[in-house]
Amino acid sequence: MEMSGLSLLTVTLFLPMVGLTILMFLNEEKQRNAIRWTTLGFSIATFLMTLVLWSLHDPANPGLQFVQRNDWLPTFGVSYYVGMDGLSLILLLLTTFIMILAVLSSFTSHIFEERGREKLYYMFMLLLEWAMMGVFVAQDLVIFYIFWEVTLVPMYFLVGIWGGDNRVYAAVKFFLYTMAGSILMLLAVLYVGGNAQTFAVPEIVAQIQSGALVLPFDGLFSTQSFLFLGFLIAFAIKVPIFPFHSWLPDAHVQAPTAGSVILAGVLLKMGTYGIIRFCLPMFPEASVAWAPFVGTLGVIGIIYGAWVSYAQKDIKKLVAYSSVSHMGFVVIGIFSLNAAGMQGAVLQMVNHGISTGGLFLLVGMLYERRHTKDINAYGGIWKALPFFGALSLIITLSSMGLPGLNGFVGEFTILLGTFGSQTLGFTFALFSTLGVILAAIYMLYMFQKVFLGELDKEENKHLHPMAWSEITVLVTVVVLIFWIGVQPSMWFHMVDASTKSIIDGVAHFAPQITAMLK
Amino acid sequence: MTTPTLSELNIGATLPAVLLAVGTIFLLMVDIFLPKERRHLTAWLALAGVGISFVLTLANFKNQSYALADMFVADPFSSFMNMIVLISTALTVLLGIDYMRRTGIARGEFWSLLLLSTSGVMFMASANDLIVVFIALELLSIPLYVMAAFRSNNAKSEEAGMKYFILGAFSSAFFVYGAALIYGATGTTNLPEIFTAVAGITSTGGASLAYLLVGAGLIIVALGFKVAVVPFHMWTPDVYEGAPTPVTAFMSVGAKIGGFAALLRVLVTALPALAAGQSPDPVWQNTVMIIAALTMIVGNFVAVSQSNLKRMLAYSSIAHAGYILMAVAAAGNPLQSDAAAKAALVYLLSYAFTNIGAFAVVLAIEKNDGSGIELSNLIGLARSKPILAAMMAVFMLSLTGIPLTAGFTGKWFIFQSAISANLFPLAIIGVLTSVVSAFYYMRVVVNMYLTDGAGDPAEGATPYVNWAVYASFAGVVVLGLFPILAVNLTDAVTLVALNVR
Amino acid sequence: MQNLALIAPLLILFPAVGAFINFVWGPKLNERASAIIGSVAAGATFFVALGLLTYLTGNFYQPAIVNPPLLDGWIRIPSVGREIPWQQRIDTLSVTMMMFVTFVGTLIHIYAAGYMHGDKRFSRFFAYLNMFLAFMLILVSGNNLLMMFVGWEGVGVCSYLLIGFWWDKPNGEGIKNSNAARKAFIANRVGDFGVLLALFLTFWTFGSLDFFKPGEVANPAHYGHLVHEGEASHAEEATTAEGESHGEEAVPAEGEAHGEETTAAEGEGHGEEVMAATESHGEEVMAATEPEYVDNAHLTYNELGIFGKAEARIHLADGETLDAGDGTQISRTVVIGPWTADIQTVITLIVLFMLLGAAGKSAQIPLFVWLPDAMAGPTPVSALIHAATMVTAGVYMMVRSNTFFYNAPEASLVVTIIGGTTALVAGFIAMGQWDIKRVLAYSTVSQLGFMVAAVGIGAYGAAIFHMMTHAFFKALLFLGSGSVIHGMEHGHHHLHGHDDHGGHDDHGHDSHGHDDKHGHDDKHTAAHAVEEKFDPQDMRNMGGLRSKMPITYVTYLIGTLALAGIFPFAGFWSKDEILADSWFAGVFDGKIGGYIAFALLIAAAFMTAFYMWRQIEMVFHGEARHEAAKHAPESVWQMTVPLIILAVFSVFIGFINIPSGIGFFSLGLDGVFGLHTLTNWLEYSVLHAHAGEFNGLVALIATVLGFAAIFLANRIYGGNKALTNDGRDPLQANAATGPFWALANARMYWDETYQRLFIGPFQRISQLLADIDWNFWHDYVHDSVITRGFNGAAKLLSEPVDQGLIDGTVNGVGRLVKWFSGLLRRAQTGYVRVYAVALLVGVVAVIVLMLLPVLRG
Repeated sequence: MEMSGLSLLTVTLFLPMVGLTILMFLNEEKQRNAIRWTTLGFSIATFLMTLVLWSLHDPANPGLQFVQRNDWLPTFGVSYYVGMDGLSLILLLLTTFIMILAVLSSFTSHIFEERGREKLYYMFMLLLEWAMMGVFVAQDLVIFYIFWEVTLVPMYFLVGIWGGDNRVYAAVKFFLYTMAGSILMLLAVLYVGGNAQTFAVPEIVAQIQSGALVLPFDGLFSTQSFLFLGFLIAFAIKVPIFPFHSWLPDAHVQAPTAGSVILAGVLLKMGTYGIIRFCLPMFPEASVAWAPFVGTLGVIGIIYGAWVSYAQKDIKKLVAYSSVSHMGFVVIGIFSLNAAGMQGAVLQMVNHGISTGGLFLLVGMLYERRHTKDINAYGGIWKALPFFGALSLIITLSSMGLPGLNGFVGEFTILLGTFGSQTLGFTFALFSTLGVILAAIYMLYMFQKVFLGELDKEENKHLHPMAWSEITVLVTVVVLIFWIGVQPSMWFHMVDASTKSIIDGVAHFAPQITAMLK
Repeated sequence: MTTPTLSELNIGATLPAVLLAVGTIFLLMVDIFLPKERRHLTAWLALAGVGISFVLTLANFKNQSYALADMFVADPFSSFMNMIVLISTALTVLLGIDYMRRTGIARGEFWSLLLLSTSGVMFMASANDLIVVFIALELLSIPLYVMAAFRSNNAKSEEAGMKYFILGAFSSAFFVYGAALIYGATGTTNLPEIFTAVAGITSTGGASLAYLLVGAGLIIVALGFKVAVVPFHMWTPDVYEGAPTPVTAFMSVGAKIGGFAALLRVLVTALPALAAGQSPDPVWQNTVMIIAALTMIVGNFVAVSQSNLKRMLAYSSIAHAGYILMAVAAAGNPLQSDAAAKAALVYLLSYAFTNIGAFAVVLAIEKNDGSGIELSNLIGLARSKPILAAMMAVFMLSLTGIPLTAGFTGKWFIFQSAISANLFPLAIIGVLTSVVSAFYYMRVVVNMYLTDGAGDPAEGATPYVNWAVYASFAGVVVLGLFPILAVNLTDAVTLVALNVR
Repeated sequence: MQNLALIAPLLILFPAVGAFINFVWGPKLNERASAIIGSVAAGATFFVALGLLTYLTGNFYQPAIVNPPLLDGWIRIPSVGREIPWQQRIDTLSVTMMMFVTFVGTLIHIYAAGYMHGDKRFSRFFAYLNMFLAFMLILVSGNNLLMMFVGWEGVGVCSYLLIGFWWDKPNGEGIKNSNAARKAFIANRVGDFGVLLALFLTFWTFGSLDFFKPGEVANPAHYGHLVHEGEASHAEEATTAEGESHGEEAVPAEGEAHGEETTAAEGEGHGEEVMAATESHGEEVMAATEPEYVDNAHLTYNELGIFGKAEARIHLADGETLDAGDGTQISRTVVIGPWTADIQTVITLIVLFMLLGAAGKSAQIPLFVWLPDAMAGPTPVSALIHAATMVTAGVYMMVRSNTFFYNAPEASLVVTIIGGTTALVAGFIAMGQWDIKRVLAYSTVSQLGFMVAAVGIGAYGAAIFHMMTHAFFKALLFLGSGSVIHGMEHGHHHLHGHDDHGGHDDHGHDSHGHDDKHGHDDKHTAAHAVEEKFDPQDMRNMGGLRSKMPITYVTYLIGTLALAGIFPFAGFWSKDEILADSWFAGVFDGKIGGYIAFALLIAAAFMTAFYMWRQIEMVFHGEARHEAAKHAPESVWQMTVPLIILAVFSVFIGFINIPSGIGFFSLGLDGVFGLHTLTNWLEYSVLHAHAGEFNGLVALIATVLGFAAIFLANRIYGGNKALTNDGRDPLQANAATGPFWALANARMYWDETYQRLFIGPFQRISQLLADIDWNFWHDYVHDSVITRGFNGAAKLLSEPVDQGLIDGTVNGVGRLVKWFSGLLRRAQTGYVRVYAVALLVGVVAVIVLMLLPVLRG
């Protein structure tokens, strides 16, 4: 196995860890600002590095770029193997961008006044960023698994230490639930790696396509299907796909604002990314065979999530359930197994990251001012904070999928793909499109309850105005919302080659598999 | 048979173990002549002894040689086991120095006993003959009985020693009986020779096969008792709780190392072909699998309801015995036996670091009267002792098997071997129970970090103890980041009796 | 001349900039400034539209396609191989829309400057109006369905914001307004559901969403006479083209226009032109000096837009195929994913889905309920968005897609029925309303019904014609009503000696003052209203305003006559064309839809005249029934001037499309006023538009009915009988008509039914699901079920089962684990004896296990 030199990607990946190391030597009390600015500085630096990677990235090349591969455990065929294709790139950009927002939003947070340990907080943030980026660039199953599991730890602490009243419950639940899922994936990883004599995903995929490695498939319940499910369940819990969602409301509601933002913005995407990166290429037949089932769960998620969120009285819960609905779109997009659906799904991941991340930021800012998440405690906020209200409206509309804003492009492309899909098709599209109506119902309900109506409650009348950091955060979000909404092609191009190669790897199984199962 | 010549005895190979045994006598004498105020020097001498033995071990780490008329084998396997146990002993010494003093049980014999037990473990790892296994077993156990009861001023401690002794006697008896049966069947106690004999017996079957099976069963029971697997684990919580914490720490690792070393030797070197009926796999595989499954389930589930840290760690050590047993079961598959043995070795190493580290932290917050080691005593430790808490958190993550810690490396290898040996049900039970374990390990973290409260001052955290903690921490992290280091040491390990003479 | 089309993007740019300025600096600007910015932005678009008009006329009506600068394509996915661009289409249809949208829009901007005076969010209002204009122009100028959809949704949002513009009014008024806004948006979303599905179907059927591709013309036949100038050889073709379009030339031609059998032939003609087309033909066209292309002969299937493709495909015989241009063969069968269907089925589906969309946007049954509530918005909004422009979007879409509708007769029948019924139902409800704006709102719904029905019977030209005239007179009426309301409020203030002049606080942007505007309830009597809530929109408070507000009165009267379809006002021509077309469709083409449409619409027309005159009588005639009405002043010039201008148009606009048969009305001014100028002009972009015929009988019936209705209304409400003494409507008082009137007044319980059928259940189910999710799935399953599941295992592992449960304080897994392990712990009793026994048991077990294989044999 070749040893390659230090890749730019590795440098980017480990930048947050450098920041973390520096934080270690800063003094909690005396250097609060230093701590904050170091964190912000490093998250921005990381973002800039990803921009550099972007500028050097060749979208036409479906293969991995900025590859670095060093032996880690040659006896098992495990190597530190990182590489980046369009798919990884777009998610890297999302991660690093969201991280900046999260850090900025923490500046104005009051949690430190009661919980303190600000330094630890920012250390965990950077650790989380590192792990999340690792998930998106790791090309070796074991390395991927390592990053995947490591994300649990900082998130566990972020929720557990700086979360709401019920934080310990939420943190433990989050930890156990997601671990239970991923630990089964470990077995599948070991099986595949053991049989392939390597854990390097590209090599495994090559073996599978060349027929060198055969994971027997003869129906819905066969070796390959079980391996597929082993991976899928881990990812499904993370996404979360419909029946596995019950950890999400807890985690979201209890997490501090930054936590929710990262959770919605990036962590959920790890699941869908995993499906695209690992399930589809490694278990093509099983993916096709199971597509209708997973697709059905996705559709249920879309409608169910939307419907449930309409009944929520807690704003954060409402947004949390809306995530279930939105991620449902991503799922059906992926399992439509055609270019449009897949592309839409990828873009929708980004959109959901931005829009829902934005929504959580809004809720956070409201919470900072009113210290309640009860939707009935608000009303007429638009009058109290006009600018805030206007920005909120745009973010709400984007999450509703208004044409011309980012949300629409993703959803539209997904539904288009689903409609023409070999595996899903007309009926799936029909029911998922209902989600468009439902989205309007619960989103407008929330917006009206919070921002419209008479400003009658005393405590709402004198909310302190927005801080510069809050304005910066929201404005950036809004700008992106418009940008992606009007000019999405650039993003499509970024991921086109890589998603195409994945689709091609799977799609040609579709006819015979569907035939076989009939 | 003629008395073998010195060269045939090949003492050199046995040196690491023998030296420790001899050292103990020297130590005793020194201890007598040392003035009371300089007694702590004994500890340092013990440490020195361990160091020398360690160097000797590394010196001929990879070459395989037989000694004492083939009763003793020094090979990479034994070397690795020696390494682990010596590290554990060294850490135990560090833990012991101040602890014994502050709990008012500082006595010179302690160190001799420790070294004696250690050498017992080392002999066990090198035993190539059932007789040696038995002697080593006693050599390992008897000092432990004493050390468990070392806290003579404390009833619990004495009770612990008593229990341990009685049940230990049971197990020794079982071992002897088992060995006898095997001898009856095969006419030898030498492991490689048993191997050759077994092949014939399994084909013919009949009474001698039955003897063989029962004998093997009894040996599994006896060693199972030492490594504390279900249902031979009842003594563990009480003994662990009662014994002085450094002893507990050593016991939780040393005894397991010895037990598993012998178990692997006997089962893989001597009885791999112990098949009956149609299945080519050895009969003992199913037994071991069932025991492993029970052990993981019971150990993990019971650990959850423990409020006393030492008891909790006792059950967790039971659970971990189950995981290692999974590797033993995997070793039943002839194609996987070496890989599985290696996995077991790596697991033992990572487990040694993690567990001793955890016990060290417990010891640090323990009061002189042995109290103050409830889960609740950890509340707020992250504020009072941030570093100690952080390391404890890492140890807990490691025991859970979270990546980038030694624990993950160990679990990974174990599961890999189980998967390769197609023991899927066992593997699934393994992963699921490790989720359960996450629950009680995380509770430690919850108490330290997520629950507010005035943290424990942790007077026990003396410099030596801290060194021990740091050392274990280093071990955990290094093994987590660079498993290659451990793996390379296991390269040459093979238990299959190739060169039968 | 060519490049004049490039100004098209300005259509969107101007109002967008205007909106941006008013958004960002609005709060700092004074009313005057923001009003000017807004109105100028709007006015500018009108001149841009004018420019595009001249471009078309000067360029032989050839459509132009403009890619806005700085915008790269929109949704472009390389591996999908299809692109959805940002692209504007300048053709006669879109320009027609632009013309009246911008014109009416501008007037209303000016009007609003007067009407909104004193409003807290004055600048915000103009920002919204501009934003609306921008989206509306995106809607009409987009060259693909998706871009149209952007405008479609955009105007929806603007309407949402403008309906709920007074969301902060006290006493729950604000919430009422935002509820109305929400209702409107959600009803529209239901429609969008249809539009989206239509989009998907279209995309997967034709592989594109573009209406037309560059160089393609909608109606090649219609360009015949242009070629005529260049090429003699086209003479006969040209005449047939003439014949097809101008039905009056020859009776057979006339027959051709409507004859059953010819539709196929005609279509065949197009089909053939579209797909194969002899090369020579193509060359000749090339040869023609200008215009360069007059048909699509030079275009392969793949180079056509969705409509061209539809035309090409629908006329294929079974099994017949045509070359797509890249070698692939196109047949009738459509393959989408695993499904295959005949093109006919697919188009029918598309049409039905589009109908759903139109029902949302153009307020048709079953989705029309939002429009009346939308009157919660300021009056200019009602006039601009909910009367003149936005609500016509649905009709525009249908006319734009006339190819689909034309080729889906069954679906078209459904369209007819929906449209006709809506016209009738809404008309009926309008007769029973007290609220001046509500009457107009229902009248709008009813008139939209006319247009939709027209589409249903294939009278696409007529639909646009009516849309256009309606835009003028309905805007006029709304603005008039606004002026009336305005006057009433002033009167009311004068009455109460309200010191804050300007008197716009009563729009409720101040928490004080009489926030009385939209909270009217039909039950309370006028007398009652005086002391408590004065409702300036309640016609019961009005009367005798004729003398107080002469300009308003006259203009309103003109509007009424136009709407009532009285000769020679605009409404007469457009409505008559629809009626005549449906008559023809029924009698000559024997289409059942024709009869249905005629029957429903003629009745609706009667009602229209009736309720409008009722309004005139109640509002302007008779004596004032309320003090406020006595002191109502005439409105300011910003408001009256637009009224006058609109009034003028309401009189004459009808002349731009005089039907065949009575050409003498064109006064020889063909091209401007005259012989179906509009239809002719539309035919360049609407393939199946055809000129309306004049039918004396129909015209006679309609006019007679109109007059009859007015006469009747006058008899009932005339003089001072607008209200009975007890403040009831004469019809209400009358035993015979009472129940019907009550039904109309209660809006036929439409909202209540929806509440019971859909909204209520939706909310209940939502609550139910939420409870299930939380209490069952989240709590019960995670904290209890797993616990129980492990009961069994626990029993196996611990001897005495009867040892109590342990505290389950922690979370699910935890609780179960603790519980289960609690039992186990109790097994760990501290006695060595027990240990020994257990040990023994274990030993036996192990030995048995080991011996098992041998024992088995």
